[in-house]
Amino acid sequence: MYVIKNGLLYTMGVSGTLRADIRVDGGKITEIGPDLPLNGGECVDASGLVVTPGLVDAHSHIGGFPEGDEIEDLNEITNPLTPELDAYYGINPDSKDFEWALRQGITTSCLVPGSANVVCGWGIVLKSAGEHRLVSRPAVMKAAMGINPKGCYGSKQMAPMTRMAIANLMKTWLRNVREYMDKKAAAGDDKTKLPPYDLGLEHGIPVLEKKIPLKVHSYMHDMMTLLEIAKEFDILITVDHAQGASDFAEELTDPHVRGVIFGPTSEPLFPGEGGKLDYECCKILDDLGVNIAVMTDGPVTVFNMLLYEMGEAVRHGMDPVRAVGLTTINAAKILGIEDRVGSLEVGKDADILLWTKLPTVSTDAELKSVYIDGVRQL
Amino acid sequence: MLLKNAVVHDGLGNTFQKDVLVENGRIVRIADSIEGEGFDLSGKHLLPGFVQPISNWGVNGTAYEIRPSANDNDEHSDPITPELDGFYAFNGRAATAQQLGAFGLITAGVAPTDNNLFGGTVAAFHVDGVNPYKLCLRRDIAMMASVTPNLKQTYGKNKKAPVTRMWIYTQFAEQLRKAGEYKEDADKPKDVKLAALKRVVEGELPLFVSADSALAVRHVWEIVRTYPKLRLVLVNGFGLTGQEDWIIEHKIPVIFRTAAAVLDKAAMAVSFEAVRAFMEQGVPVAFAGEYSNMFGAREDMLWNGIELMRVLHDADKSLPLLTSVPAQLLGIADQTGSIQEGLLADLVVWSANPLESWEAHVVTAYQAGEVIYKEGDALKCM
Repeated sequence: MYVIKNGLLYTMGVSGTLRADIRVDGGKITEIGPDLPLNGGECVDASGLVVTPGLVDAHSHIGGFPEGDEIEDLNEITNPLTPELDAYYGINPDSKDFEWALRQGITTSCLVPGSANVVCGWGIVLKSAGEHRLVSRPAVMKAAMGINPKGCYGSKQMAPMTRMAIANLMKTWLRNVREYMDKKAAAGDDKTKLPPYDLGLEHGIPVLEKKIPLKVHSYMHDMMTLLEIAKEFDILITVDHAQGASDFAEELTDPHVRGVIFGPTSEPLFPGEGGKLDYECCKILDDLGVNIAVMTDGPVTVFNMLLYEMGEAVRHGMDPVRAVGLTTINAAKILGIEDRVGSLEVGKDADILLWTKLPTVSTDAELKSVYIDGVRQL
Repeated sequence: MLLKNAVVHDGLGNTFQKDVLVENGRIVRIADSIEGEGFDLSGKHLLPGFVQPISNWGVNGTAYEIRPSANDNDEHSDPITPELDGFYAFNGRAATAQQLGAFGLITAGVAPTDNNLFGGTVAAFHVDGVNPYKLCLRRDIAMMASVTPNLKQTYGKNKKAPVTRMWIYTQFAEQLRKAGEYKEDADKPKDVKLAALKRVVEGELPLFVSADSALAVRHVWEIVRTYPKLRLVLVNGFGLTGQEDWIIEHKIPVIFRTAAAVLDKAAMAVSFEAVRAFMEQGVPVAFAGEYSNMFGAREDMLWNGIELMRVLHDADKSLPLLTSVPAQLLGIADQTGSIQEGLLADLVVWSANPLESWEAHVVTAYQAGEVIYKEGDALKCM
C-alpha cells in the first residue's frame, strides 16, 4: 500500500482535475482525496507533477510483428474471411515492443489482426507489463474495408478487388452468423438439430449479440457503407483510422457507433482513401458526444504517436484536457474496459502516469513514472 | 510588408522582439521599431520556414500515376546512377497539394532514394508553386549515396547485385577510387558516372551517405577518409551515441532521420541524447523527418524538434536543426533558413512557439514574401 501525494490529478472521471492524493492497495486505486494519511504505507511524492491515467492505445499490432521474421503473425493473407482467427495466438507478450510502449506511457493496448482481410479475426486487450496482463479476450472482431483487402486480393485476381465486393463479403458473413444463431436457437435442447459447428460463425455471435464491436479499418466514404451495414444487422462498430471522419460527423453520432479511433497520421496526403488528414475531427466529434480516440497502429508507427496525435488534436482546436481523453477514458469506453482502466477513480486498476507537465500542452513534458496494476514499471 | 511586434526566433539560436520589413520577397530590415503601416503580430511568434534537407515532397504525391513504374526519385534499374539529377523528380503541383506551409515547412531538399549506392544529386525547392525553375533554390547540391539494406531489398531480392553488404562497401570504395583516377580523354567516350563521382572526390559537392547503423557509418568513414577533399555528410544517424570522436574531431555533419518510420525499427535507433551530445561538441546536426522512400509526414520536422525538446528543453537551441543548419548543409543558408536582412522572406507566423506548445498553430506562412497559407484556409483533400 502506498499513497501518491500532492500531484495535480487529471482524473478523466467525474472528479475532473484536482490536486489530491491517491491511495493504491492491491493493484487498485482505493481512495482519492486531499491529505490522505499514510496509514503505514509508503509515500510517493508527486509534488509539482502531473498525474494522468495510463494511456490506452485503442488500435495496435505490437508483439505481432516479430523482429527478424519476414512474415508477421497478424495478417493471414490467404482468405479474405478469417473470423475464426484470434490475435491472442499471433502476439508475443515478451516482445520488446511492449517496453517501448511502456516508455511512452502506454499501459494498455488493443491488439488486433492487420487489415488484409475483410473479416480478420478476434482482437484482445493486453497490458504492457505485469503479472495478469490479459484484460479482455475477445475484445473486438477486426474487419477491414478499402485498399488493404483490395490490394491483398485484387492484385491476385481474386475477390475482393472492389469496394462492392468488400461490402458484399462483410454482409454475407454477418448474414451467415445470424442464420447460424437462428438455427442454434431453433434446435433448442435437441442437439441432433444443431448446425455443424463453425468456429468462424461462433466468433461472430458476440458481434451480433452486441457484446463486442466490429472494429473496422475504414476511411472516408467507407464509413458510410459501414454504418449502413451496422444498422442493417444492428451491431456495434468502431470506425478505425477514420481519416475524413469530419465529413461524416453528424452521421457518426448514430448509436451503432461505439466510437471512432483516428490515426495514425505519419504520412502525406495520398490519392484515394489517404486523401484527407483531418485532426480537427477529434474536436468536432468530441463536441458532438462521439467517443473519439487516437491510435499508434504500432509498430506501423513509432510509439510516441499517441503523444503526437493528442498534441496535434490540441493544435487543431481541442481542449488540452479533453485531448487526454483521446488516449484514456474515451479509448477505454470504446474498448468496453472502462470498469478497469481509463480514469483515476476508486475501484479502478492503479495504472498511473507521473509527468513533469501536461503532455497535451507542453512539448517537452517528461514521463517520470509508470505504474501498472500498482506496480512501478518505469 | 511590415511585420511588427512579433517575438522573432531567428533560427540561429536567438530570440528577440523586433519589426521585420519585407520588400520584393526579401527581408530588407530588422529593427527595434520600423515606422509604417504593418501587421501587428503582438503575442505571435515569427519563425523561419522549416527546411527539410532530404524529402520526397513533390515526388510522392505523384506516386500513383495512371501508368505507374517507380517514384521519380527512385531509378532502381541500376544501383550506380550518380549522373542523375534530383531536380527532374520534382513536381511543383504535387508539393503544393500537400499544403506544407500549414505545417511550417517552406523549403524541401529533393533527393534520390536510398535504393541506389550512388543515386544522383540533390536539389532544393520552395514547396508552393508550379514551375520548377522558379521554385528551385539550388540544384546540384550534393551527391546522394546509400549503404543501407534498401539496396539488398531492391536488387538482391531479384538476384541482382547487390545481394550482400560485401558488394555494397566494395563498390562504394571502388567507384570512389576509379573516380579519383578518372581523367577525361578526348579519344574515349565520356564516362558520365565516374565524371559525376570525380566531382565528389574533388570536394566540389558534398557526399550525403545514408547508413543504417553505427557499424555502417564506421565502414563509410574508413573508406572516405582516404580522400582529403571529400566532404562527407552522414544521413540517418542510427546507432550513433554522440561519443564518436572522429565525427567530433572532423565536425562531420549528421542529418538525423527518424520518427514515424513505417515498420522500420532502425529508425527507433536514433538517440536524441546523441543529437544533444553532438550539438554540444559543435558538430552540425539537422533533422530531415522520416527515414523511408515513400511516406513521410508533413509534421515530421516539427515532431523531430519536439523529440529533441524532450531532452534539451531549449527551443532556441532546437530550432536551428529545423532551419539554419539544414539550409547550410544544402548550401542555401544565404537564401533561407534564418531571419536575417537580405534573406528570402520564408517566414511563418505561429500563435505560440511550436517547439514549446502543442497549442501553437500556423497563422500565416510566407514563401518569399507571398502568403501560401493562412489561418482559416481549408486544408484540402487529395
